[in-house]
Amino acid sequence: MDIRSQISMVFHLDKCIGCHTCSIACKNIWTDRKGTEYMWWNNVETKPGTGFPTRWEDQEKYKGGWELVNGELKLKSTSKVKTVTNIFHNPNMPTMDDYYEPWSYKYKDLFDAPAGDDQPTAKPISMVTGEYMDIEAGPNWDDDLSGSPIYAENDINLDVLSEEQRDQLFAIERLMMFYFPRICNHCMNPSCVASCPSGALYKRGEDGIVLIDQKRCRAWRKCIAACPYKKTYYNWNTGKSEKCILCFPRVETGQAPACFHSCVGRIRYLGVLLYDADRIEETAKHPDHELVDAQREMILDPFNENVIREAKKNGIADSTIKAAQESPVYKFVKDWGIALPPHVEYRTLPMLFYVPPMLPVMSSQEGDSVRSINEEYFPDFEKARTPIKYLAKMFGGGNESHLRYVLKKQSAIRAYRRAVTVGDIDMLDAEKALIEADCTPQEADKIYKLTSLCTFDDRFVIPAAHREEAIEMMKDPLEHKQEAGFGFRDAPARGR
Amino acid sequence: MKKTYTFIIIAWTTLSSSILGQDVEGFYKQNCASCHTIGGGRLTGPDLKNIHLRKDEDWIKKFIANPQAVINSGDAYARELLSESRGVVMPKVGGLTPFIIQSLVDFIIDESSKEKSKYGSSAIADRPLTPGDIVKGRALFLGVTKLKNNGPTCIGCHSVAGEGLLGGGLLGPDLTNVYGRLGGKKPLAAWLASPGSETMGPIYQKYPIDEEEVLPLVAFFKDKTLSNVTEAGVHDFNFIIIGFVGLAIVLVLFDLFWGNRLRSIRRKMVEGKI
Repeated sequence: MDIRSQISMVFHLDKCIGCHTCSIACKNIWTDRKGTEYMWWNNVETKPGTGFPTRWEDQEKYKGGWELVNGELKLKSTSKVKTVTNIFHNPNMPTMDDYYEPWSYKYKDLFDAPAGDDQPTAKPISMVTGEYMDIEAGPNWDDDLSGSPIYAENDINLDVLSEEQRDQLFAIERLMMFYFPRICNHCMNPSCVASCPSGALYKRGEDGIVLIDQKRCRAWRKCIAACPYKKTYYNWNTGKSEKCILCFPRVETGQAPACFHSCVGRIRYLGVLLYDADRIEETAKHPDHELVDAQREMILDPFNENVIREAKKNGIADSTIKAAQESPVYKFVKDWGIALPPHVEYRTLPMLFYVPPMLPVMSSQEGDSVRSINEEYFPDFEKARTPIKYLAKMFGGGNESHLRYVLKKQSAIRAYRRAVTVGDIDMLDAEKALIEADCTPQEADKIYKLTSLCTFDDRFVIPAAHREEAIEMMKDPLEHKQEAGFGFRDAPARGR
Repeated sequence: MKKTYTFIIIAWTTLSSSILGQDVEGFYKQNCASCHTIGGGRLTGPDLKNIHLRKDEDWIKKFIANPQAVINSGDAYARELLSESRGVVMPKVGGLTPFIIQSLVDFIIDESSKEKSKYGSSAIADRPLTPGDIVKGRALFLGVTKLKNNGPTCIGCHSVAGEGLLGGGLLGPDLTNVYGRLGGKKPLAAWLASPGSETMGPIYQKYPIDEEEVLPLVAFFKDKTLSNVTEAGVHDFNFIIIGFVGLAIVLVLFDLFWGNRLRSIRRKMVEGKI
């Protein structure tokens, strides 16, 4: 056993209101520099929709992630041979049009315009060329546009549906949509790290955050092709690639990352998971429909004495183990089993998990009162507007049983809570429903509490960073003991 | 420090002169014999027998040191020599010092006084040239047959009109009419036996052209001169055509390798092509 700790995440999609506050918080801190205008380390997509960059889930085109070739894991985009043959040109790069041409407006015109019959307007200016431009697309161009004939219909996840189901999904009054906020998944088996010819990308040993060393990056841009989630970006100004750093300077000082901190819907949870790094390859080789279970299997019980002993042997601090025991992510993923990894079939083993949305809330208005359409406690998911197949394509590696389990459990908890607080549902029926959904009243209360009444400290359990230990791996902390005490960067001409 | 330099300079001059003292004959053989005889009539250059009676020693030394400079100075005799050799200027020999020049002059005067000098004729066999020689010479010139002593192939530096797909090298002069220019079989053979120019000399001293190879080459050059072709221009039209064909092939290969790269997805999607 080779136990590592990883700061991982849960996004609760039922709570996301699509306000993009997270994206703006991130942008203001990290990507408001020259060369990063088009980057959105955090973005929020509308599903069904094509996302950012457009149709990023289409790996036939973008060639992201891993594939199984004769039982071996291979990168889809590159290999040693392809690195040589494509040495002058990286063929799998998204174009600027697939992201979008970043723009601003010429606000000055609003103030300087001469008096006239019309209102002055601020014309859009490209932030790349500085010229006037026609805006054709943006990073959330299809925001709230589910059902649109171009963007939503081209969602590649809809390919699993039958023609009839597709038609239903796009029929007026049967439209459905949900938001899909995305950041770097800080995968356990990151294809971006594997693809880098310079070895500039690395997964931090102490907390599993995936970073790009800005000194070693040589602008190969292999990571951009290799990341199936398209979450590494090339900075055209510095000539280096950049990506979400999970706000590690904040995490190291005990604060939640900016997008987590600012989340209005409180959909984001952050906590430590312990996993067995020896099993990464074996796990990633499972067939698509077994991947969710296999990945869950890798995540270890932080209360197990054997696990704790092995973790300590690997240098994981007591405070980290304690954080793992209190981790909300562990609860969602392992204890309750209601958080699922996105597109696990890319085999990068993402460490950001999603609680899938329970769409839609079936209710109708009659006079002044709103009542549930479904008389049963569980809506029939087979007949629900959101086809389970569609969600399974996104969150289950195509395995519908995971989705059915999660949705059933969530709806049983809703029924149970309604029985508790409103009382118009019979408690016995509600408890029966809980049992059928593999849940107990105690567990239901815990899920309810962490979902609806969660405080800051419930959502973010951040362990002490122990940077001093991480630094010890790289250099001797006593290296400069008994040497000049006024800085080491510019050594004095004589004496040390 | 100063003492060391002085020592090195003294050692160098005495050492080199002593070597030359023994081997002025060797130096003559390597650098002069390809164009000159002593009492055997002219090759490319004039017969050197009794040269000291034709011109004074100072003039001879000046000429050996830098023939082109003497010609350029407008010296009447030097111009006469130039026209006699059909415009072939005597190359400036590398490694000449006043001492060596003096030794050479002494050597020539010495040989002139002999009844029959060793250098009275060229050493090349006097058999007639055959058509087979032309074919063999052409192969040698093009490098199809390698030179026996591993010397570099002629076409590497020289060109001859109509030979070689891309023409020959441009470093040395065009050899299309070299047979006529140097004045026929004997001078040309003598030159090939030990080329004396600053560029060719050092190379072919180490890897000389074999006696067996000289005559075929002469035959090849003679054939070229007699066929009356004009010299090949530097801007060979073939070269441009081949350049374009090569470019086209490279572009096609590029397309085969990288043609299926990722192009815009969004625009195609919006235009309904996905």
